[in-house]
Amino acid sequence: MDFTLTSDQEAAFSAIDKLAAQFDSRPTDFHGFALEGQELDRQLEDGQYFDIAAIPEYGPVTAALAVERLARSPYTVESALSMLVRPQLAGEWPRPLALVENGRPGRFVASAKTLLILEGGRIGAAKPPAEALESVESLFAYPMGRLKQAVEVTWFSESEAAILRIWLRTALAAEASGLLHAAIASTVEHLSVRKQFGRPLGTFQALRHRLAECAVLAGGVRWLALKAAATADPGDAALAALHAQESATRVVYDVHQMLAAMGMTLEHPLHLWTYRLKALLSELGGRGGQASAVARHCFGTALDQ
Amino acid sequence: MDFDWDTEQQGFRSTVRAFLAAHLPADWEELAHGPGSEAQSAFSKKFCAELAKAGLLVPHWPQRWGGRDADPWTAFILAEEMWAAGEPRGGQYMNVNWIGPTLMRFGSEEQQQRYIPAMAHGETIWCQGFSEPEAGSDLASLRTRAEKHGDSYRINGQKIWTSYAGHADTCFLLARTSPGRNGISIFLLPMTTPGITVRQIPSVIGEGDIHEVFFDEVEAPASAMLGGEGQGWEVVRTALSLERVGIPRFALAARMLSRSVARLQGDGRFGHGAIEQAARARAACEAARLYSYNIVDQRCHGIPTGPEASAARFATVMAERLVGEFVVEHMPDALAGGDPLLLAHHQRAIVAGIASGAAEIQLNLIATDLLRLPREPR
Repeated sequence: MDFTLTSDQEAAFSAIDKLAAQFDSRPTDFHGFALEGQELDRQLEDGQYFDIAAIPEYGPVTAALAVERLARSPYTVESALSMLVRPQLAGEWPRPLALVENGRPGRFVASAKTLLILEGGRIGAAKPPAEALESVESLFAYPMGRLKQAVEVTWFSESEAAILRIWLRTALAAEASGLLHAAIASTVEHLSVRKQFGRPLGTFQALRHRLAECAVLAGGVRWLALKAAATADPGDAALAALHAQESATRVVYDVHQMLAAMGMTLEHPLHLWTYRLKALLSELGGRGGQASAVARHCFGTALDQ
Repeated sequence: MDFDWDTEQQGFRSTVRAFLAAHLPADWEELAHGPGSEAQSAFSKKFCAELAKAGLLVPHWPQRWGGRDADPWTAFILAEEMWAAGEPRGGQYMNVNWIGPTLMRFGSEEQQQRYIPAMAHGETIWCQGFSEPEAGSDLASLRTRAEKHGDSYRINGQKIWTSYAGHADTCFLLARTSPGRNGISIFLLPMTTPGITVRQIPSVIGEGDIHEVFFDEVEAPASAMLGGEGQGWEVVRTALSLERVGIPRFALAARMLSRSVARLQGDGRFGHGAIEQAARARAACEAARLYSYNIVDQRCHGIPTGPEASAARFATVMAERLVGEFVVEHMPDALAGGDPLLLAHHQRAIVAGIASGAAEIQLNLIATDLLRLPREPR
């Protein structure tokens, strides 16, 4: 047991942190729903950062830290599936990746070079032609898209699918952790400057305690995600994804309550993180799906996927 | 970053489990109910003496005081296994975690020689005289007075909620020697000192757990003071920082959750509602575990404990709540004679956010020191 990063991990993370820091401020003229980080994506590609999990000195823990860090940016890039799931796929599957769960619209689907298809209990992958994909307008602050026609799918074996489920859950938790921390940081900023009754809102205990509880939940998600990345254990991954969706449900509500009307505007960036969190809530079966996985892997209960 | 135990750590955990299997009596789970009861207190002295002989009471203490300078992980693995077993050390866990180390740091040679060997041999029970009727979360406002008369102090006042006081040999007492936060001093006081009266408070958390302690013209020699006059607040802050992740509550909570789930599975009652609740509680236990491990890891690397310790404490409170609520909803017979250890866990879980200080104080610290929100006006 040692929670210190190796010097290699530290160096890789600090390079990604430095890169991401250039994209921590939102353009002031942006009033849309999904703020995409094409330039951030390009720089990450140039630095070959999407492949760090496969490099033994860095491994999936560094990749999870990177996903977590990148998710804090107002600009979104498809990093979680590329960094944490793609290394597990046998064969050549180009990025960006996207998940299509039971035919529903998904994040990054319209621009995906590889689709992961979840259908019932099966997982497969496809390289969709561009004409099979289309963008979907949404509130979710990710570029959303859908598959509009059938594509050729390579289905994975049950054991391969089981491994992919571990990494899909870990990826979800790592992404959620970054989003939760960014949403909380944005709320701290608001509560520190916004004054009512002659003092900053952040001095009122009703809000301080509520936000502190949110911070404890977010920190827990981070630890569980890092552990799942380190152990690749299906129980750890299910716990991480469950705690992520559970915490997101509560934190998103609380931070919007604290930002009040300001949080409803597209001028304020809060929705970029909270609506991404909302997009994650239903993935991989939602809380019920994660709970079933926890029951199977941590309590030995035989249940459906 | 490594989340696995090394061979030595795994071996130590096995040793502790083997010791527990060999030394806990068949009716231990009945005894575990009421951590301050007469039966539990008597058992804890016998048990801790055996732990000491096996080198498992204070392995993390310096050799000079009967330990082997083991690292904080060793101390924490030991604490996890003891707490998960229902804490057979009783109140002596306090000696091991913070009273002994605090005396090593601040005690005079005479105090150290008098008290530390008895703790290292598992022969003595302490209580902490902190809370008062008018000083709970606002501990610094305590009123128990210690007035100097020649070479001694005369102590008058009252403590409340004092755990283990009924069977304690010594009190780690906070008293006021002058006004203000810098006017608090600490006395190490034998509980047989004339003028001390202990009254048990009947409670839902178990027999012999909480007490009122009255101090009526109690004479304490100046040599009973720990540290200097007015140094009490500094000493207590050090002691409490050792205690913040002192009890690995998540370990018993996770064990009791698994036990409850196994019973429900056996009865064919582990349906979807219970599954979702159990899974949430399990995730909260694991989050609390990792938060606590992070603090232990920081201790190993000599990093001073920061606001993350408050987050660790609050994560533990959240986990205890979810497990406690799960058991009450799905295993109600546990509180009606069905399972003494589930009952004992319930009684300990309900004070998770209260014992060793209201958890809301930790939320204040998280808000100010971790989130950096502006401070509340005073």
